[in-house]
Amino acid sequence: MLLDLQTDFTAAVFDGRPEMIARVRAGNFRPAQHLQVYRNNVVESLTGALRAVFPVIEKLVGDGFFRYAAHEYLRAHRPRSGNLHEFGDAFAGFLAGFAPAAELPYLMDVARLEWAWHQAFHAADAPAFDLARLGAVPAERHAQLRFELHPSARLLASDFPVGRIFEVNQEGHDGDTNVDLAEGGTNILVIRRGLTVYVEALAAGEAELLTALAGQQSLGVAVEAALAMQPDFDLTSALADYLRRGTLVDCLVE
Amino acid sequence: MNAAVAERPYGPIPPRSGIGLRAEHYRDLLEQRPSLTFVEVHSENYFGAGGAPHYFLEQARALYPLSLHGVGLSLGSSDPLSREHLHQLKTLIQRYEPALVSDHLSWSSIGGVFLNDLLPLPYTEEALAHFSARVAQAQDYLGRELLIENPSSYLQYVESAIPEWEFLAEVARTSGCGLLLDVNNIYVSSQNHGFDAYCYLQALPAAAIKEIHLAGFTVNRYPDGEMLIDSHNALVSEPVWELYAHAIRKIGPRPTLIEWDTDLPPLETLIGQAGMADAILARETADAA
Repeated sequence: MLLDLQTDFTAAVFDGRPEMIARVRAGNFRPAQHLQVYRNNVVESLTGALRAVFPVIEKLVGDGFFRYAAHEYLRAHRPRSGNLHEFGDAFAGFLAGFAPAAELPYLMDVARLEWAWHQAFHAADAPAFDLARLGAVPAERHAQLRFELHPSARLLASDFPVGRIFEVNQEGHDGDTNVDLAEGGTNILVIRRGLTVYVEALAAGEAELLTALAGQQSLGVAVEAALAMQPDFDLTSALADYLRRGTLVDCLVE
Repeated sequence: MNAAVAERPYGPIPPRSGIGLRAEHYRDLLEQRPSLTFVEVHSENYFGAGGAPHYFLEQARALYPLSLHGVGLSLGSSDPLSREHLHQLKTLIQRYEPALVSDHLSWSSIGGVFLNDLLPLPYTEEALAHFSARVAQAQDYLGRELLIENPSSYLQYVESAIPEWEFLAEVARTSGCGLLLDVNNIYVSSQNHGFDAYCYLQALPAAAIKEIHLAGFTVNRYPDGEMLIDSHNALVSEPVWELYAHAIRKIGPRPTLIEWDTDLPPLETLIGQAGMADAILARETADAA
């Protein structure tokens, strides 16, 4: 039966179960050796897929450790889609609970950052903000505006300087690769501008504002939150920057 | 993001050579605009919503006819066909208007779990009926012909009772699909399983073959023998060129694609390989005339 053959095959590949071996012909090699080619191909290709999305994690832990982590991840999180872009969505959470990585507490947040980068890379395009439309809104209604972030925008907060860790571990980075964990936490915006994905550190007020806007809060509510977090927050220059560089792409006038 | 202003070429792909297009070659291809008959991409690499992949594919499409080659439909699986996957493929087809759309005689998922590999089917009456019905179902949904590619394989099942070439011919006959003849895959499998690659070719319905793939393989060496692996990371081998020339003599010229997916060489290397395919196409076609 096709169904039980495919079930046996999958159990052999992922769990090393023996049932499939009797269904494989001896050819140039023993049946188990023929089957082993597929076990290797599947694990190699899925490890390669993770490696492509998490190059900084690989650099931080090394090839051997990465392979081991990928192998363990695969045991717990089998791919659920024929679209490989979706594979690796739980890798950050997996690393958080991965005992051999316990001494590297920032790994999870670096992985979250790399996943955000991967999502931003493939996210939808958006036309530039129609400034004329915004200009037509009377000033007294500005507080009610609800802005829309670029579809690629992802906001992250971490207790670790993950932006710096990400930056110094990029291909072609020269200079000091040491990061002092005592630099402390950071807020980050991952966003694609044009074709390039950027990882940008945010001041506390900006992070608060953008998080509120991303949560569909009105500009008035978002600004209050930003000022509570950072009393000297400069709304005018921040907004001008978001409009000019495409961080915000649209708005709903309530 | 404005795409190139060239005309978007329509219509069937002329029976000459093209190359598989990978992200590493986007800029070189668009700058050099080499004389190629078509380009082919993996459909699933464009399942994302936007960004660089679509930006570059739009421009490539403005210059060349396109073939969309799938690796993820899992047509041979016992699971229901993924409606989401089919929908994404249909969206891609509507956007890029490819001349050819293909996937494989294989399965890659069961119970909702994907193995990300093109796994061989058992060649049984049950699998034949199942696979043909699925191809017909996918073609019906997509509203167009699919080409089905013969796989390379590294094992044979005890329960297989039909030769692969007969299975494939029967799929084409009953589902009405076209065939994508991968000459390298025939060679790799023939070496791994000890069948005659020329007999394989002989058994396929020539009229159903709408495209040919050529690629390089690697050899895994073990203490007790060798296994050829369809790795798409090397030049087309001499025996595969010979088998290809034979195929063209037998079936006539067909659009022919040079596939190279890992350890990518400079674009020029692929163009050189495409040139070799064109030379064979010209020679074998002139001989036949």
